[in-house]
Amino acid sequence: MTAAGRTTGAATTQRGVPQAGLLIGGFVLLAAIAVVSVGVGARSISPVDVVRALLDHQGTDDHVIVRDVRAPRALLAVAVGAALAVAGALIQTLARNPLAEPGVLGVTAGAGFAITLGSGLGFAAGQAGQLGCAVLGSVLAALLVATVGRRSPLRLVLTGVALTAVLTGVALGMRLMLPDVFDVYRFWSVGSLAAREQAPLVWPLTAIVVCLVGALALSRALNALTMGESVAHTLGAEVNRVRAITLVLITVLSGAATAVAGPILFVGLIVPHLVRRIAAGSVPWLVLHSMVLGPILLLVADIGSRVLLPTGEVPVAVVTAFLGGPMLIWAVRRFGEGSL
Amino acid sequence: MSVRTMPLRRSSALAGAVTLALVVTGCGSSSDGGSDKAGDARTRTFAADNGKIKIPANPKRVVATGYAVPVMIEAEAPLVGISSWKRGEPMMSKKDLATYKKLSKVAGEQAAETNYEAIAEAEPDLIVIGVPAPVLGDIDMQRLKSIAPVVAIGPTVPSAWREQSRKQADAAGALKKFDATQKAYEDKAAGLAKKYKNVLPDLKLGHIGAYGEVAKGTFQREFGGSWGTNIAEDVGATYYGKVKKPGPGSRAVSEYPSLEELPDGLAEADAITYSVNADGSVPESVKYVMDSKLWKNLSAVKAKKTFPIRYTEAATYGQAMQTLDAIDESFAPLLKS
Repeated sequence: MTAAGRTTGAATTQRGVPQAGLLIGGFVLLAAIAVVSVGVGARSISPVDVVRALLDHQGTDDHVIVRDVRAPRALLAVAVGAALAVAGALIQTLARNPLAEPGVLGVTAGAGFAITLGSGLGFAAGQAGQLGCAVLGSVLAALLVATVGRRSPLRLVLTGVALTAVLTGVALGMRLMLPDVFDVYRFWSVGSLAAREQAPLVWPLTAIVVCLVGALALSRALNALTMGESVAHTLGAEVNRVRAITLVLITVLSGAATAVAGPILFVGLIVPHLVRRIAAGSVPWLVLHSMVLGPILLLVADIGSRVLLPTGEVPVAVVTAFLGGPMLIWAVRRFGEGSL
Repeated sequence: MSVRTMPLRRSSALAGAVTLALVVTGCGSSSDGGSDKAGDARTRTFAADNGKIKIPANPKRVVATGYAVPVMIEAEAPLVGISSWKRGEPMMSKKDLATYKKLSKVAGEQAAETNYEAIAEAEPDLIVIGVPAPVLGDIDMQRLKSIAPVVAIGPTVPSAWREQSRKQADAAGALKKFDATQKAYEDKAAGLAKKYKNVLPDLKLGHIGAYGEVAKGTFQREFGGSWGTNIAEDVGATYYGKVKKPGPGSRAVSEYPSLEELPDGLAEADAITYSVNADGSVPESVKYVMDSKLWKNLSAVKAKKTFPIRYTEAATYGQAMQTLDAIDESFAPLLKS
């Protein structure tokens, strides 16, 4: 694709399919899967009652389950899926590294360390406490990585890897010494969307929505950055400013997602790979398609997490890992690493 | 390599001495619970989870771990070392807590944290292991056996704490105090059963335990014979229902369904009891249930027939007396209605 093509964004895929059409199709699919998600659970509820619960709430047990348990869960899956996928697209674009994912900034390790430390000090009791610790830990870790590694993409990745190793090691030592802390951590460490309906989600979800809008607004400038700093300067992009804002967006998106759902790997890595071919080198379309495919992937995994076992649930992070590994191998074999 | 041979006369004399020693110490077999009198070191064969073990008939230096710790302290067994047992501290009397704190800790909270050198230094003549049978794999039994006879008497189903604690106290030769406490408990339970005989037997009860996992969106539903229910049953409470797919240990009498199954699980309950911490605060897992709108839709909740119960982890008669007091305090409004 030409430089001009990149900056303006491709209106069609390489096979000539309109991007807008694909996006609308993706939204329709997302809406359909979300409705299915609300209909699936431990208690059998007829599709008619599911629709009634959403449109004509009577306060019966079935309606309460649909409105107060399953619908918030589906909404959370959409928000977390979009946040992780877009954060993944941004970090891969910024680092110009197809193996980068939001955890590279130390966000996951920072949240895990903060949960461990908070549990040891008695701050991480309850969902609100854990949420607070995870947000603080992920933001501080990402700030540290961004400050040290801001000068170059390679330095950023290396700093993130180093900080992740240090925080993971220290936290592991603490958990091994303190069984009670380990007990708190082991539930958080397997990312899940279950039982989040009572957690204080307004602020994290608001932050995700704001940052998704911000990512879209920034995507044109990022388009220029993918062609190299000197070309970006020539095209009038403020490279340092764009890079700093992108880091903030990645931090908030992945930090908020990790805080509310725990570590869910692969979504941030696999989704940009899957949509990159469709986006045809355009960052705005990469961000838009990631914003739709991320929630679809997470919703499907979440439905799977509820139906795979005869009783109980498999944490959604286990299902995404199970799906994500083969999908990543398939994507790499089918499309190669693609163009950033 | 040279081997020095022992003169024949000297070896015959040694064999005679060994034979005499064996007779004196009474190494002959005995029936379960019976004792062999033979000089200073009487022994008896004791049936435990780890087989039939020969133990001192009257142990003088006992090491106890796990669930055996509060039992032994309460029964005033001759303890020289115990494992840490933090979960039981809130239920210990001041005197028992002081004893617990004073005693040398020879193991941590987990079976894998057993300090074999500390146990050897305590020079016990009996070691009583109070952990569930599957956890015994975390303990080097051969090493412990090289220090002193080891009897493993661990928990199975929750309500079996009565028999297990008696067996633990029996192994340590501390039944006198144990029996007195058991009698006091049974008298108190009988008194409360009489007090509530006009209200409790007519109620179908359900119980929410403290071990649900909020992160998984589950709650703990306890049935009759579980930790949260077995002592209330001694007072005349009846918990309806049973586990859908029974498992080993406490899984035989409790299950962990999704919150979505709360209405089905407790729809028939006339009243609901729920476990709270020793200080009366509501555990996170129970709070998760009580904060849901599904809880507020239950008929027992609408009828305001929900009762918190403290000390549901009681596994000794002394602790269970506190549970009886807590049950009495909680059920008191039933007598007014």
